[in-house]
Amino acid sequence: MNTMEKLAILTDAAKYDVSCSSSGVNKKNKGGLGNAKSYGICHTWSADGRCVSLLKILLTNYCIYNCSYCVNRNHNDIPRASFTAREIADLTIQFYRRNYIEGLFLSSAIEHSPNHTMEKIWEVLDILRNEYSFHGYIHVKVIPGSDPGIIHKTGLLADRMSVNIEQPTEQSLRLLAPQKSLQALFTPMAEICRQITQTSEEKKKFRRIKRYVPAGQSTQMIVGASDDTDLTILKATETLYDRFNLKRVYFSAYIPVNEGPNLPALATIPPLLREHRLYQADWLLRFYQFKAEEIVNPQFPRLDTDFDPKISWALRNIHLFPLEINRASYEELLRIPGIGVTSALRIVRQRRLSPISYDNLHKFGVVLKRARFFLTCQGRYYGGIPIETSLIRQALTPQPQPLQLTLF
Amino acid sequence: MDYLYDNTFDGLLTCIYYSYYEDTAKGIYPQDNYQCSLVNPSRIIITDPILSSRVYAAIAQKISSTALKQVYYVFLSNHPCKENLILKYLQLGFKFGRKIESFHTHPDVLPVHQTARKVSFEAHRFFGLLRFAETGDFLYASLTPDHNILILLADHFADRLAMENFIIHDQKRATAVIYNKKEWYLTDFTKPDMLSITEAESFYQHLWLKYFTHIAIESRKNKRLQNQFVPQRYRNNLVEFTNSLLSD
Repeated sequence: MNTMEKLAILTDAAKYDVSCSSSGVNKKNKGGLGNAKSYGICHTWSADGRCVSLLKILLTNYCIYNCSYCVNRNHNDIPRASFTAREIADLTIQFYRRNYIEGLFLSSAIEHSPNHTMEKIWEVLDILRNEYSFHGYIHVKVIPGSDPGIIHKTGLLADRMSVNIEQPTEQSLRLLAPQKSLQALFTPMAEICRQITQTSEEKKKFRRIKRYVPAGQSTQMIVGASDDTDLTILKATETLYDRFNLKRVYFSAYIPVNEGPNLPALATIPPLLREHRLYQADWLLRFYQFKAEEIVNPQFPRLDTDFDPKISWALRNIHLFPLEINRASYEELLRIPGIGVTSALRIVRQRRLSPISYDNLHKFGVVLKRARFFLTCQGRYYGGIPIETSLIRQALTPQPQPLQLTLF
Repeated sequence: MDYLYDNTFDGLLTCIYYSYYEDTAKGIYPQDNYQCSLVNPSRIIITDPILSSRVYAAIAQKISSTALKQVYYVFLSNHPCKENLILKYLQLGFKFGRKIESFHTHPDVLPVHQTARKVSFEAHRFFGLLRFAETGDFLYASLTPDHNILILLADHFADRLAMENFIIHDQKRATAVIYNKKEWYLTDFTKPDMLSITEAESFYQHLWLKYFTHIAIESRKNKRLQNQFVPQRYRNNLVEFTNSLLSD
């Protein structure tokens, strides 16, 4: 089998992994090839509109496991292939030189045993880092069940590591991936988290210490394969951020690739809108100082599909509004739908110099279409309708586009 | 009084110097396409690196280094009257000092912030969207950006590809950044005719194309989203969008 065919097979096998970010670490080129920028760089966008930043590829798609949702499970009759460590390293270097990619995202199905697979992943990193002096970004997937020693030495070479937990609860994981358990997934995550904290503490005392997994760790959950509510998912997300200090939790709308008794039918359309709403909620957790129970609660366990989670929250808590732009604290400004981090910072900085008038508000980047119902500016309310949940909800609902009638 | 300058940043800063110490400038325009007016007298300013470096230092000290960066980015933009934006911004800046950055909605500040943001955004975009091709002795990349961002790309790629020789060629402005494994310089450049890619290059281009087509998930196909991120005007220089040999 030639490189071209292998690349096609192993790209197809890897593409359902969501994460593709190359952010979180600044590195200079120390006499070799490559560097990294903490803001991350996207290199192109594929036909599904997702960015391509890293060479996302599997080492092999031969698998001993049979997770029902996974395209690579061993019961599936699909073309199988394996790359050697050197092939992947060469491919990475050649793509990187041409500025096609920002680095490598290496994952693998589990061939023979977790340890064997993890050892092979380490080998790729060893060639890249020590032989080719590659300083670009490397994200590795941790193979659950592999030896802590191998994970540790891989972590010393990688920029980011991730363990996919796939499902927010033990029950749904057992249904879909009977050979995995959440506890077994949390063990490496906790260990990586401990190492990261430890080395960054040591870094404060000794400058020359090498940081362990400097861009942090992330994880991924599949949405829509089991019947977990958004409440369960967001609660789990929040716990993951708190407990393991994760950089990101990714959500992946379940795309049916297999048939199974515990799975949605093959014809199911991927819940893309739900995934989108979950990401919006995730942003509220990470940048807008929201708590999971504010966004969803046992009364409203699912995210509203018609409105983004921030509007839904504001409509449920209409008694807190309107807020005065010239007096509200930064945290309060962030709670207004239509105001984001950038515009809130601009407002806070400018109002130290002069009061802010309504006419200027859009220049900050505030989306008045949404924001005007929730704020006052110099004491005046510009919403035009009484501040009542039902009325605002109606005003915010997108109107159907009028149709052009035909002439004949 | 209209000041005319020679299209260099130093020239522009020299104009600012004269505007401050001699006649206040009503506008600053490039020499080469200035339309004389009967009402406004004009004056050609000879670029003086000593004067310009004084203005440069003054902006950094009396306003802020961020303001200096904003001004430089606006200078690199293709805004039709960028010189006047800079002039007004600096006049206000020397009055207000570093506070000017916080005055986001001021009519003299907002266009500067917006234009500088566009330039820095495009430069950031090209960190990713630039494509090098192996031509034997060096890596060659060409681009046709809206703004004159070439100089913003140079440091990034000189660090990243430190062990390579490369040329980054702005086809629109016929300039290039040339790097020789030690240092880079900016120069006028036209594409040589005999530039041919190596065999290995076409192999990796095909691999890349294969990867690019296979990484997309069919059931999530969203061309509109893709168009937002990769505008049509950039696609001529992107291997994965021009080379349709393998698009299956």
